[in-house]
Amino acid sequence: MNRETLRRLEMLNQLSLTEEQKDDVIRFFDAREADFEVIDKFFDTADVERMVHVMPVMTVVREDKVIKKFEREALQQNAPETDEGYWCVPRVLE
Amino acid sequence: MKIITAKTDCACEKRIALDDMILTSDMPTAAGSRMLDGYMSLFDAEVVTRLKEAGHCVSMKADVGEFAVDLMGETSYNGAPVASGVLVNAACETVKNGDAVAAISLDVNGAIRRGAAQSGLVCIKPTYGTVSRYGTIPAACSGECVSVTAGDVKTVADILSVIAGHDDKDGTSLPAEKCEAAGKVTAPVKRIGVIRALCEGVDADVQAKLDEFCAKAQAAGIEIVTFDGAALTAARAAWNVLMSAEVCNNVSRYDGVKYGYRAERFTNIDELYTNSRTEAFGDVLKSVILYGSETLSTENYMKVYDKSLRVRRIICEIFADLFEDADAVLMPAVGKMAYTEEDVKADKYMAFSENVYTAPASITGLPAVVAGGVQLVGPALSDAALLDAVARIG
Repeated sequence: MNRETLRRLEMLNQLSLTEEQKDDVIRFFDAREADFEVIDKFFDTADVERMVHVMPVMTVVREDKVIKKFEREALQQNAPETDEGYWCVPRVLE
Repeated sequence: MKIITAKTDCACEKRIALDDMILTSDMPTAAGSRMLDGYMSLFDAEVVTRLKEAGHCVSMKADVGEFAVDLMGETSYNGAPVASGVLVNAACETVKNGDAVAAISLDVNGAIRRGAAQSGLVCIKPTYGTVSRYGTIPAACSGECVSVTAGDVKTVADILSVIAGHDDKDGTSLPAEKCEAAGKVTAPVKRIGVIRALCEGVDADVQAKLDEFCAKAQAAGIEIVTFDGAALTAARAAWNVLMSAEVCNNVSRYDGVKYGYRAERFTNIDELYTNSRTEAFGDVLKSVILYGSETLSTENYMKVYDKSLRVRRIICEIFADLFEDADAVLMPAVGKMAYTEEDVKADKYMAFSENVYTAPASITGLPAVVAGGVQLVGPALSDAALLDAVARIG
């Protein structure tokens, strides 16, 4: 991991790190990469099928009908900002 | 520092504590993160609904580390839960202090198992899919499980029987007959295999707990055998990759627009997103997000993320082989019987090395029971058999 790659990752993940935090994150990456080398010591994974889910997963389907209704006030209780029943979002067009 | 982050008025004797990863409509749920400070859910998690229907009083929320990826809860925006200089798990503390008869937690990276081991409590991380995750805050969905912790095996078994079962609302919920099978002892544990490789790095106190458990098991007529199990130590690296990648994706929804923390200062939409996430998320979570993102990059997807999925299959196969020769395997849940604030100050990422003991069950979805300070892992759906074994061992 280097600072150039880290800068790209910060941008992709919409985070901004201080210089001290960057050093810290690089240490975290280095430790994880060292950990990962253990895998090659034990296993040859070339012919192993990957396992995404440990148990069989089925797509959940149900009848297309309303089963629960919420009042607008309840739906907006966690909104950072509202005005007369509308969500207030920052201006995105100049 | 907070142990209990919210509570309702309740004087009954069937009080249950939830950790702050489980949604409740009458108490806020913050996932230990400034991002969700004060968040009120519109609905209860399925486990909460089931507990209430069974007459239990879900009366308090216990603090949790930010999105439950840490060692014991030390990354909560409320500060690390500490008692006498030792890190404690808040959910375990509610049980230990008698505030609740049992605690329900989302086991993402083993914090609740570590807490139970160090508090002398009984905890089960059930077989993946036997308890609904509907209404839990998603972090590492492919391995996280709703777990039960209490002071004794009977209480754990009773509460588990209430919350376990198929749920149509959870796409990873197992069919009803499999959930029911996990609740029955069809093959009692007669032979336990000790995983030597995982016992080698522990301190003397943990070794004493392992020795004591083995001696009691033998006294209860259970045969003890030893396996090398060195390859199981590799589960940690793969789990850290999968967990980080899933956490990265799951927390991408928090951008300060629809809900959650919103930064006060920004000049455009990109700054709004970046400032909100930067100000609200803690350092450890940021590292996890960035690492997860990197493992999913074009350059690393096949050689890191995809390889970790293959390792998951190999670890499952290793366990299947072990279960040919033993009914369950014994391993530590922790490397030491107490973590201090100094430990996590010296290494804030300790959870990602100490999870060598909890990652094998997390990555495979196998049931794990913590009792007597140690951890017993069994085949899928052997939940009741594991609890029966620790009850017999005493």
